[in-house]
Amino acid sequence: MAQRQRRGRRTAATLAATALVFSAAACGSGSDTADSGDPNTLEVWTRSNPDAAATYERVFAAFTKKTGIKVDFQPIVNFDQQLQSRASIKDLPDVMINDSGSLGSYQRQGLLKPIDPDAIAGHEQIDGETWGTARGLDGRTYGIPYSRQAMTLMVRKDWRERVGLPQPRTWQDLLTLAKAFATRDPDGNGKNDTYGMVVPGSAQNGYAAWWAATFLWQGGASLVEPDPDNAGKYRAVADSEAAVRTVSWLKDNLFCGAKNLVQPSALTSTTGNATNFQDGTAGMYLTGPYNIATFDATPGKDKYEVVQAPAGPDGATALAEGENIYFGAKTGKAEQEKALAEFLITPGAQQLAMTGENQPVVRIPVNTTLDAAKVRDDGRWATVQKAYRDASKQFPAALDFAPIRQDTADSLNAVFTYCGSDVRAGLQELNETLTGDLKDQDLIS
Amino acid sequence: MTATLTPAGVPKSPVPKSEAPKSRRRGGYRRAALPWLFLAPGLLLALVFKFVPMGKGLWLSLFEVRPFLGDKWVGLDNYTRVLTDHRFLDAINNTLILGIGQAAGAILVGFVLALLLEGQTRSLKFLRTAVFLPVVTATAVVGEMWRLLYYPTSDGFLNSVLGVVGLGPVPFLDNPDTALWSVMAMGVWIGAPYNMVIILAGLAGVDRTLYEAAAMDGVSLWQRLRHVTLPAIRPALAIVVTLAVIRSLRVFTEVYVLTGGGPAGSTEVWMTRAYTLGFTRNDIGGASAASALLLAVTLLLTVTVYRLRTRGEARR
Repeated sequence: MAQRQRRGRRTAATLAATALVFSAAACGSGSDTADSGDPNTLEVWTRSNPDAAATYERVFAAFTKKTGIKVDFQPIVNFDQQLQSRASIKDLPDVMINDSGSLGSYQRQGLLKPIDPDAIAGHEQIDGETWGTARGLDGRTYGIPYSRQAMTLMVRKDWRERVGLPQPRTWQDLLTLAKAFATRDPDGNGKNDTYGMVVPGSAQNGYAAWWAATFLWQGGASLVEPDPDNAGKYRAVADSEAAVRTVSWLKDNLFCGAKNLVQPSALTSTTGNATNFQDGTAGMYLTGPYNIATFDATPGKDKYEVVQAPAGPDGATALAEGENIYFGAKTGKAEQEKALAEFLITPGAQQLAMTGENQPVVRIPVNTTLDAAKVRDDGRWATVQKAYRDASKQFPAALDFAPIRQDTADSLNAVFTYCGSDVRAGLQELNETLTGDLKDQDLIS
Repeated sequence: MTATLTPAGVPKSPVPKSEAPKSRRRGGYRRAALPWLFLAPGLLLALVFKFVPMGKGLWLSLFEVRPFLGDKWVGLDNYTRVLTDHRFLDAINNTLILGIGQAAGAILVGFVLALLLEGQTRSLKFLRTAVFLPVVTATAVVGEMWRLLYYPTSDGFLNSVLGVVGLGPVPFLDNPDTALWSVMAMGVWIGAPYNMVIILAGLAGVDRTLYEAAAMDGVSLWQRLRHVTLPAIRPALAIVVTLAVIRSLRVFTEVYVLTGGGPAGSTEVWMTRAYTLGFTRNDIGGASAASALLLAVTLLLTVTVYRLRTRGEARR
């Protein structure tokens, strides 16, 4: 008995030791699992969860079927961290599909191959303005647009009809509707437990800046802009009169005005934990159309509507963003990469990525021959497409925008938190910080 | 630390340099090498996954890190930048308040729990297990749970309890005046049971006859605590203090999950700031410098506590 026990323990020890050796070996070889030597296999990274990855799988399968080029597909959630570790061993993925706003950061780090748009078959089906958002500071193009979207306002239609108000078209409408949702028991449960709108207002990862950008654009404000006197340089303009007016409006009305216009935990909420719209406790949410699939499940397709972001004093321009196709620097597979990119922007491939039961990975097609609403047979996408094509503005993609977004979020979050704070002084301080960020990137003349 | 790593000490170890027969000397070598052989897998893992990355981190703190283009030497620039950044200084301030409050609270609560739950009966064993649960639960999960407990309206659990006695609703995490204290309370809840276990082990070693003698002398509860229990569990307390301080200084998950450093940076701590530097702003050099500073402070504190302890013991 005792002997058997001892033998068992010894076996366990041997197994453990073997496991250790193997796991160490596996760590050592992690970098070249991707067949990086095979010229006919492309290593492709996307920043996607398993659901979106399933859509990409279908798209890449179609590509392999058409061209015979294999795709080693890696959907990665913490994309930038993983990319940094691959950059440090100087072995980048061949193709990456990620935020269009990362272009400046990647280009600054030397991670991208420049692209000649004219050499890409089908380039004329992407409009010039969209191509323009893929240009780096040196004027060369570093990405191929793949998918775009603009922020729109999701509104609880049933609530709005119950309080008898029209679809909001202006900031004032938005405020009136928010007040009605907060005070007039739109869910009819007899309790005072509903909020006007959802705000992911945490400074974490820059969320507050993401959310407020649409309002800033609509108020005629900007954070940084090209320096009119010096080509290729930038200047911070976060303390303009328009910015002071806009931020004051947000602070005085939504955060420090009547109660319950925004959900109570707004200032510590990220998009991940701001779930009041799904939970049926908030009536509006200014967000991206990727949420349409989520909201169709809860609160339900028939319960909400998608409308253009209500216009401010300077128009209805909404924040736009999207994904680009990037080619990793020095990968030596230029032809195959080009073939994949050309395939991905064809009407067929874009359509494939917009439909199916999984989460769509193309929201508004960059290919102008397609119509998002027709492809999906869903009129709500016409609203999103109109918002993108008519009146939208991205964060400037050419520069490394992450620090600017983060500092803006820190500053806005503080202004919204302290109701007694001086907005002008807060924005002046932000402007100095942003000037410092631009200086760090050698972008101040 | 490196001293324990290098097997360089092996051949020199206690083998007498006498004219002992060769075979015995070889046996001595073998005996001396044996522990190192058994330690080797662990040491190797520690070296590869702990000390090499740590050294690399220190090294990177002297560079502008550009993984693909090659790092650029900047000397101590990262340190100056980090130490002159007012948000980082605010974060250090918050870390100290949170760290000291959380450590003190967790030790006090842990001590009280240990006194209450010391003993052998079955019900106590069950209670101890129940009380220990926060320690074995993933911090991120605990954080999400507390975020729900702290929900700032009268629907939130804590606020509904406060509502019963006519208080609240308290905004807890959403007001810069209460956010840090709310994070601290959760930290105490997580840390106290851990301290309790160490203190319990210390209590088990207290000589029972001392309690009996104290009872015969008719001392009060407070006197018994002050003059019998506390001196007896000094070593356990020293360990608890050291661990609690280290744990509190490197606090990250609690804050990241509960508040993300907000609102208005009121709960931003050392590690969340370093994280933002490294992963949002892509400033790995700055983040390494911030982490190196934390390592230095932690080392300093540990050594101080150790010194105080040994000096205290020598005096006794």
